[in-house]
Amino acid sequence: MNASYLELQGIRKTFGGSIVLDNVDLSIQEGELVTLLGPSGCGKSTLLRCIAGLTEPDGGRILLGRKDIASLPPRNREVGMVFQSYALFPNLTVYGNIEYGLKMRGVDKAERQRRCEELLALVDLEEKRGAYPQQLSGGQQQRVALARSLAVQPKVLLLDEPLSALDAKIRKNLRSEIRDIQKKLNMTTIFVTHDQEEALTLSDRICIMNNGHIVQDGTPETLYSRPRTEFVARFMGSYNVLTHAEAVRLFGDDIGRAESYALRPESVRLLAGFGEHGFSESVGGRIVEGTIDSVSVLGNVIRYSVMANGVRLTIDMLNDGRTFRTETSGAVRLALNPSQLLQLEKEGA
Amino acid sequence: MKHNKRWMLLGLAPFVFMVLAFQLTPILTMLTGSVSKSGGGFTFGYYDKIFHSAFYLQAIKNSLLIAVYSSAIGLIVGLVCAYSITRFAPRIRDRLLMLSNMTSNFAGVPLAFAYIILLGNNGVFTLLFKQWGWDVFAGFNLYSWSGLVLVYVYFQVPLALLLLYPSFYGIRDQWREAAALLGARPWQFWRTVGLPMLTPAIFGTLGILFANAMGAYATAYALVGGNYNLLAIRIGSLVAGDVVNQPEMGSALAVLLALSTLLAVYLNHRMSKRSERFTASYVSGSSEKRGRGGRKRAWLAAKEEAGA
Amino acid sequence: MMKSKAGWTHRSLMLLLMIYLLIPLIGTFMYGFAKQWQTTVLPESWTLEWVLEMFKDLRFLDALWTSFYLCAVSVALSLAVMLPAVFVITVYLPKWETFMKGVVVLPYAVPGVVAAVGLIRTYSSGPIDITGTAYILVGAYFVVILPYMYQGIRNSLLTVSAPELLNSAEMLGASRMRAFATVILPNIWPGVMISTLLSFSVLFGEFVLTNMLVGGHIQTIQVYLYQRVNESGHLASAIAVTYFLFILVLSTVLMKLGKKFNGEAGR
Repeated sequence: MNASYLELQGIRKTFGGSIVLDNVDLSIQEGELVTLLGPSGCGKSTLLRCIAGLTEPDGGRILLGRKDIASLPPRNREVGMVFQSYALFPNLTVYGNIEYGLKMRGVDKAERQRRCEELLALVDLEEKRGAYPQQLSGGQQQRVALARSLAVQPKVLLLDEPLSALDAKIRKNLRSEIRDIQKKLNMTTIFVTHDQEEALTLSDRICIMNNGHIVQDGTPETLYSRPRTEFVARFMGSYNVLTHAEAVRLFGDDIGRAESYALRPESVRLLAGFGEHGFSESVGGRIVEGTIDSVSVLGNVIRYSVMANGVRLTIDMLNDGRTFRTETSGAVRLALNPSQLLQLEKEGA
Repeated sequence: MKHNKRWMLLGLAPFVFMVLAFQLTPILTMLTGSVSKSGGGFTFGYYDKIFHSAFYLQAIKNSLLIAVYSSAIGLIVGLVCAYSITRFAPRIRDRLLMLSNMTSNFAGVPLAFAYIILLGNNGVFTLLFKQWGWDVFAGFNLYSWSGLVLVYVYFQVPLALLLLYPSFYGIRDQWREAAALLGARPWQFWRTVGLPMLTPAIFGTLGILFANAMGAYATAYALVGGNYNLLAIRIGSLVAGDVVNQPEMGSALAVLLALSTLLAVYLNHRMSKRSERFTASYVSGSSEKRGRGGRKRAWLAAKEEAGA
Repeated sequence: MMKSKAGWTHRSLMLLLMIYLLIPLIGTFMYGFAKQWQTTVLPESWTLEWVLEMFKDLRFLDALWTSFYLCAVSVALSLAVMLPAVFVITVYLPKWETFMKGVVVLPYAVPGVVAAVGLIRTYSSGPIDITGTAYILVGAYFVVILPYMYQGIRNSLLTVSAPELLNSAEMLGASRMRAFATVILPNIWPGVMISTLLSFSVLFGEFVLTNMLVGGHIQTIQVYLYQRVNESGHLASAIAVTYFLFILVLSTVLMKLGKKFNGEAGR
């Protein structure tokens, strides 16, 4: 592997006595898109602002291309940033906004024009160049903001919840558009969000943050299939989190010594009644009896809430027409696969 | 339905009567008075006389100059201070605003009087400076042009401050941050984004300040009496003076004064419309706050004019 | 996010501003209580002489009473006239509002001295000769406080959504008059109270119209102060301080009320 492009070492920050960032280390490769994912207040936005130079960290080093930028003012960091609220200058047109950074850097007019045209084409807003921000939709405004920060060719692009203020549909479109542009320009990017679906679809790598720490980082696949702690398991999806005692009741004694366990809702299979399906369907698995409490249809997936051996489980099954409803029978058998039971580490370990 | 109408008329009649009797009729009488001959008939003679009289022209010029100077100084000081106030924590900010609001009540006769005590011929500071031998102030005379400007600026500054500070909240911190990341230094941000965003508020405030200074009577009257040639004072002495009453001439001058203040208030109106359009979709989140600010703005403006 | 604390530049700037704004006030205050004050930064000795003399002065007490009386009458008249009128216009004739705005903005734009000229021209001769009487002054005062009363009443009506309130009261069987008295009035009262007090304090500080219209005949506190300025500085200071303290108390009450009312309306 080549050396990391952006490297954070021991970033610390406290606000009024409470610790917001607690010795955060992070390294990012050139061209990588890393997502900082976490609930609000976990420190992800503060970390982003520290990189941008808008918030001064109490300690730590920020290396960008081997140069320590921690002491530089924002304008000299070669970092671009897109805000949740767009932060476009309302007194300037779309063109004026995109041109702004180039003007401030004293780029000559012909070059400015060339760059602006390029970027207008990139974000597909050529016909809106003369419009003022308040005449654009939210999605268009955010595309202008993206073009504006790309115009100065930053070494790193920071996106602070750029899609949170948009409608669900526009959010999905713009999400893939951002990813396309990022890949095309091979732009090193840090994306901050609290939406795990957004993080999963967009990222090369996800860092989950909680209480000022990065609690786990890895590819979307790893994070989804191998959560290390209960926090990650709960945050990444609708994992069933079981205590040791609960897990023993479902899987028997032979499950190790962890304090808690995670079980993916789609890893459990429901078998209707007795003997309807062959036992072979759950080879190597355990069969447990239970009762269905409630059913809800989530489109292509049906979600069951099942009580088995005194443990409540959430179970997802594909909505393929073979599934059954509560009214058919409250009683059900569960096929459990012990290999799907994940041991979780203690918080903060 | 018929009953309904009568009921509404009953509610409106006293109001219509009062406005007609004490607002519209006097204005009309003044207008017609300024263009009618004393024996009857129509004339522009009074206006002609004004524009050929060095004395009246000087009064107009003095008033305009004092209004322009005091508004400009008040605006600049108010602008800087308004920005400064937004940098404080809300608790201290509210205290500062309260103090400014309090001193904006201090206008007219009591204000002139306070300055006489401090800087008049036998004023405390005047004597003190003399004793200390500070001759920088030796040339200063409270009862002259420089004294008037000083006192006018005093009541313009808090007004400008209170009118301007809400618009600083329209300048988002994130604009500043975005500009910084794009390579702008703070002064470059203010030149390219901050000040252009404030322009409507600045011109609007300037209009109010100008009208306020043009119309100010009590302060000048208490300070210099009839000794300094100002438009408002000239009008007062022509209409209700002890020496000679020339009500037609007074009316003509009053019409000119009203024209200048109407123009200034119109400027304010246009500018506040413009700033609304400018920022409409931008501050939608704080629209309620803006509404309240706007109201306060109008109230304050009226308050100043009544007081000064 | 977190706001950085104001730096020393801002602190010293505000300190300068506050000194500038407060010096005339403090100076007047000290002068009113000073026995000897010449060629020193602070008075050499203090006395209550001036304040006592002021309260012994019958003309002062007279002027204070006159001001009180005239302002109260004008505000009461304005309330009686404006409440029904603004109610009718806001609730039943919203089309007239643009016209109303024009009428209401005129007192802003027309300086007191100009208004005085018009009033004198109209009422100093001819059939209605009321210059120099309290009638013309009350009329003039009515116009001065027109904007405050209109805005205050209108905003209160809109805040409590008067049309809807009225409709529901009438649907429940209340007559229109009754609905106005029992539902609308109690609800807008706090807001109206604020503009009433504000109007009162504005009128208390009025000088131009008073002096030009009735100056020789009726003495309000402002006219009285103007006349005493040239006699004794210390006495005049005491009067100015008393006047200012009164305004201060009034505006503090105003602010407290305003906070309370806005707080409730916000909920």
